[in-house]
Amino acid sequence: MRAEQTSTERVAARLIGEGVVVLALLAWWLSARHLPEFILPGPVAVGRRLVELAVTPEFLWNVLVSSWRVLVAIAAALFIGGALALLAYGVPWLADIVDARIAPVLNSFPSIGWAILAAIWFDPGDFGVIFVEVAILIPFCLINIAEGLRNIDRELLEMGQSFTRNRARILWRLTLPLLVPYGLSATRIAYGIAWKIALVAELLGAPSGIGYLMLRAQTAADSTTFLATCFVIVLLFVAGERLVIVPLERRFARR
Amino acid sequence: MNASRTAPLWQAGALAPRKLVAHLFTLAFLAAWGAASLVAPSYLLPSPLQVAQRLWLFVTSARDLGHLGSSLFHVAAAITISFTVGALLALIAYYVPALRLAIERRIGPFLNSFSAIGWTLLSIMWFGVSPLTVVFAISVVLVPFALVNMSAGLADLDAEIIEMAQSFTRRRGRMLLRVVVPSLYPFIFATLRIMFGVAWKVTLTAELFGGNNGLGYMINLARQEFDTTTIFAAIIFIIAFVHGVDRYVLGPLQASVSRHYAG
Repeated sequence: MRAEQTSTERVAARLIGEGVVVLALLAWWLSARHLPEFILPGPVAVGRRLVELAVTPEFLWNVLVSSWRVLVAIAAALFIGGALALLAYGVPWLADIVDARIAPVLNSFPSIGWAILAAIWFDPGDFGVIFVEVAILIPFCLINIAEGLRNIDRELLEMGQSFTRNRARILWRLTLPLLVPYGLSATRIAYGIAWKIALVAELLGAPSGIGYLMLRAQTAADSTTFLATCFVIVLLFVAGERLVIVPLERRFARR
Repeated sequence: MNASRTAPLWQAGALAPRKLVAHLFTLAFLAAWGAASLVAPSYLLPSPLQVAQRLWLFVTSARDLGHLGSSLFHVAAAITISFTVGALLALIAYYVPALRLAIERRIGPFLNSFSAIGWTLLSIMWFGVSPLTVVFAISVVLVPFALVNMSAGLADLDAEIIEMAQSFTRRRGRMLLRVVVPSLYPFIFATLRIMFGVAWKVTLTAELFGGNNGLGYMINLARQEFDTTTIFAAIIFIIAFVHGVDRYVLGPLQASVSRHYAG
């Protein structure tokens, strides 16, 4: 059983928690001392590079480019995934096309497959990268929003129907607001996948972006820059989640 | 949905047109693909027929099946390792409250926010191009999934059942094996199913950049030779395989386990 903690225990847990972080950094520092820099640079070197990168305009520009692509891709994936889910929900005879054809195929489509196809089909650039990211993110949005539609309270809809026969009005005033929490959890998942997996789009066929910088650092065996870039992604991911997604979720908590 | 269970008989017939429409959609898609492939050069878009022939070659060629075998090995090894590590971390957090914050608020979120691409390229720098690289990269990416899901399962344990068990035995090992683990079975299967899906997404990327065998490596070779037909065949095969295993093996397995232990 998960025992409840007293305040002293909570302080101890906190200390141990931060202690683990310190210990990890220490272990990293110790093992980096005996390894060449191209295998594992020390935490100090990586930290210093992180600060250097933060004041390099070229690096910041690439971060901006990647963030912009990620945001556009999430918006597009939410829109397309949501439209597909609504289509399957509102037009029953189309449901199997979405549920038994489009969703399973997109869901099992390997992400690297999209990246390679885009590299073959499109010129390197924003469009190709966003295409790949959207293709990877759609199934996550589709599945979450479809789940939300399944959980919509039928009685609320019936009540809505007793007030109006205008289907667009019901969709706008009732269905969509009820879907907001699911849309948010879709956004949260898509945001994580975008930074962690969909960045593969920038490894093949992109002349800019964080993924491109990572690949360039890796090919040049510049592990310090590479690790610093990885931590930039961690920071971006955590910042987006803490500053945007969590407040939004709190604002639209499931009622 | 509840409505379909109590639907009158005449509505059962309504299922058939839906299926028919879905099949028509598949045909229309293939037709559109075929028509587009007539216009586009085959290195951009091979025809469905070429891809079908390549698929047949794929399932009859020992070399191609060998790549599938390597990929399967990578996936299985990585799932085993990461599930063990993730479940152990979750159990430690559960039994040692002092370490809970360290695991759930520090180690978990860190692993969860570190990019899969980062791990892949990093493990290439560490281990070179080898199966170890691939297995390591997939494993680290999967650990947070196992940790989060198993923690959710442990948090969901019925306190009364644990109390009852405590009245029978004080041996924690016995309780873990006889009560805690069986109550976790539904979560274990759900976790493995999620991990299987994610593993495939990461495996091909890891094999493409850091493998010397496996389907990702095969796709990479085809890419260098502009052999788009093989790329298409490999992608379609992977979709069919991943969806098939998930739908016809893991799904029923999970359903029967949940029925048995949750009922």
